[in-house]
Amino acid sequence: MKRTSLTMKKYIKSFDWRILVIFVPGLIFVSMFTFYPMAKMIIMSFFDWQIGYQQTSPFIGFDNYITVINDPTAKIAIVNTLVYVLVTVPFQMIIGLLVAVLINGITKRSVLYRVSYYLPVITSWVIVALLFRYIFSNYGLLNYFITDTLHIVNEPIGWLSTRWSALFAAMLLGVWKGIGWNMIIFLAALQAVSKDQYEAADMDGANRTQKFFHITVPGIKGTIVFALIMLTIGGFNTYTPIAVLTGGNPFHQTEVVLTWMYFQTFDALNMGYSAALSVIIALIIMLITIVMFKLTRFGGDSK
Amino acid sequence: MKTKALMIVVLMVFAITLLTGCAKDTGETVTIEFWHNYSAGDGQVQVLDDLIAEFEEANSNIVVHPVFMDWGNLKNSVVLGATTGVLPDVLRGDIAFVPQFQSLNTLLALSDFDDYDAQADKVLAQPNSSNLMGSDYYGIAANTNTKILFYNETLLTAASVSVPTTLDQVWSAATTLTSGNVIGYVEPWTGIWNVGPYIWSEGGQVLSPNNTTADGYINSAIVVDVITTLKDLYAAGSLAGPSMDPGAVGDTDGWAAGTYAMELDGPWRGASNDAANIEYSAIPLPAGSAGSISVLGGENFMQFKTSDEAHRNAAWEFVKFMTETHAQVEMAKVGQMPVNLEALTDTEALAAMPLLPVFAEALLTAKARPVIPEWSEVEGIIATKVAEAITGAKDVQTALNEAATEIDAILGS
Repeated sequence: MKRTSLTMKKYIKSFDWRILVIFVPGLIFVSMFTFYPMAKMIIMSFFDWQIGYQQTSPFIGFDNYITVINDPTAKIAIVNTLVYVLVTVPFQMIIGLLVAVLINGITKRSVLYRVSYYLPVITSWVIVALLFRYIFSNYGLLNYFITDTLHIVNEPIGWLSTRWSALFAAMLLGVWKGIGWNMIIFLAALQAVSKDQYEAADMDGANRTQKFFHITVPGIKGTIVFALIMLTIGGFNTYTPIAVLTGGNPFHQTEVVLTWMYFQTFDALNMGYSAALSVIIALIIMLITIVMFKLTRFGGDSK
Repeated sequence: MKTKALMIVVLMVFAITLLTGCAKDTGETVTIEFWHNYSAGDGQVQVLDDLIAEFEEANSNIVVHPVFMDWGNLKNSVVLGATTGVLPDVLRGDIAFVPQFQSLNTLLALSDFDDYDAQADKVLAQPNSSNLMGSDYYGIAANTNTKILFYNETLLTAASVSVPTTLDQVWSAATTLTSGNVIGYVEPWTGIWNVGPYIWSEGGQVLSPNNTTADGYINSAIVVDVITTLKDLYAAGSLAGPSMDPGAVGDTDGWAAGTYAMELDGPWRGASNDAANIEYSAIPLPAGSAGSISVLGGENFMQFKTSDEAHRNAAWEFVKFMTETHAQVEMAKVGQMPVNLEALTDTEALAAMPLLPVFAEALLTAKARPVIPEWSEVEGIIATKVAEAITGAKDVQTALNEAATEIDAILGS
């Protein structure tokens, strides 16, 4: 629709400029603390960035990216992160959804259950990670049970000593901590599914599983997609569980992208490298998110 | 009329305050910013405050403004300050900071001061060598420490193990002591800070004498032997450490629980063992085939390029005061091993640190790690590769060869 200049003037007159008063401060804040650092970091990734006093940074083009791609430890970090995301996200969501459905079905004491499942979510990452470290350490609670109490094995098992078992402990921690968050999100979504559909299904003789997969799941599809994307992005941003459980050890085998980035930025002071790694990870996350959107759209705009 | 008069008065008061304020900074008193990580818990901050009060009395035109930051924050604040230009006038920090801060182009060459050499002669030469880069000194020693062999007397008596007198005996003692819940030896990390003493005491080297090459040194036969010994100990369960095995108990907790029997460590180990009521003692690292060569730690005083002339001179006066006998003895009473030669034999200092003679003996032969800007990255590579070798993830020679290649790539560029 074409606007005439007269309509334009009318538009300006009727536009409530007070909106800008609310909008602009927030925009300035976000620009300063999010957009500017992001843009600067992307620029940094093309330089051999020096942070010394009055030092200059030479432009090196894509060299940092090539270094990251050829670096075996970066590969280990990316693989570890992908595994962490691929395991923790589905398990969190499935268990969270099941718990939400179950709690939704009970009338008494639902608050007690909701609080107990949500407590891990609001507990500090550092505290629970330390707790898990003490449970899984060589002289920790788990080994005490299996050697001294149950006598399953004679020697304590080094849960945190090797790459995959340490990652297993981290993933267990991640899933356990996230169940409550998913439960709350899905509980809210379940309220929006109309009861009529369940009654109609009952009349058609559907059993519990059929009702779940054909009414509940499609009904909360939007929330599932939302949770999926949020948890995936969160999974890529994991830092504390790994930093506290193993610190990336033994010899950088349990690094995830954020712990490796932290090491390169603050210990090795390789700013350009970390910036390049950041950009690469951002691109990976973007790709995964786009793919997820496409899949869930094609998954069926079903009625 | 009234408002006009009031305005004139206000303006005059303003002007006077401004002028006196300016006068304070130019020529009258100089306020120097001093960043440090003296520990408050050990009473060191109290002693520092007393010393500063004495210094300010003796130097009426200098005011010292101390700022405490813990080790990590201290380092990061200087890294940040290198970009922003906000740096202190004087800093007391880990000797390992000197090459790092110099690579950020922030340090002042203290040897440019006329009386630097005279002051340096008053302190121990070995610890002060950690300030030497090229032909200039970028700091002066503040306090020093080194690592000596601590052992749990209760555990040694219980296992009927006599105190080792050679490095080989240390390893066999570790093996004998390991039984039940007791582990003979602990090493919290695998950098040169930890394995350096064993390498040096057997005649090995980390880098070439001019610190430009690693190949032929870090992967030499001697170093392979030393790391293989550690690898065998680890495989037998006689050696443990949280960086090689994240499931292992930390060294402080392990000592308190009576899990670890021996450790090569610094004076803080004595302090924590006292707090945990452990019966312990310590000796200099028993000699290997090339002697008993431990690793130097400690802190240095450093000054920065961002200070102007007046602040540089004032800070240097403060640094000289802190390295004189009196300040060094006072700090020794709260656990800071002195570098000042007179303070080392002072009776009050000796009374405050019972292990001081043991440390003093070890200090005579202790070696500083290479003072090069890339050292932090180099030691990180060594720590990773040595851990891989000790845990058996890689063959020892292969791991050390890889270390040599990676280090040479950094040093060469």
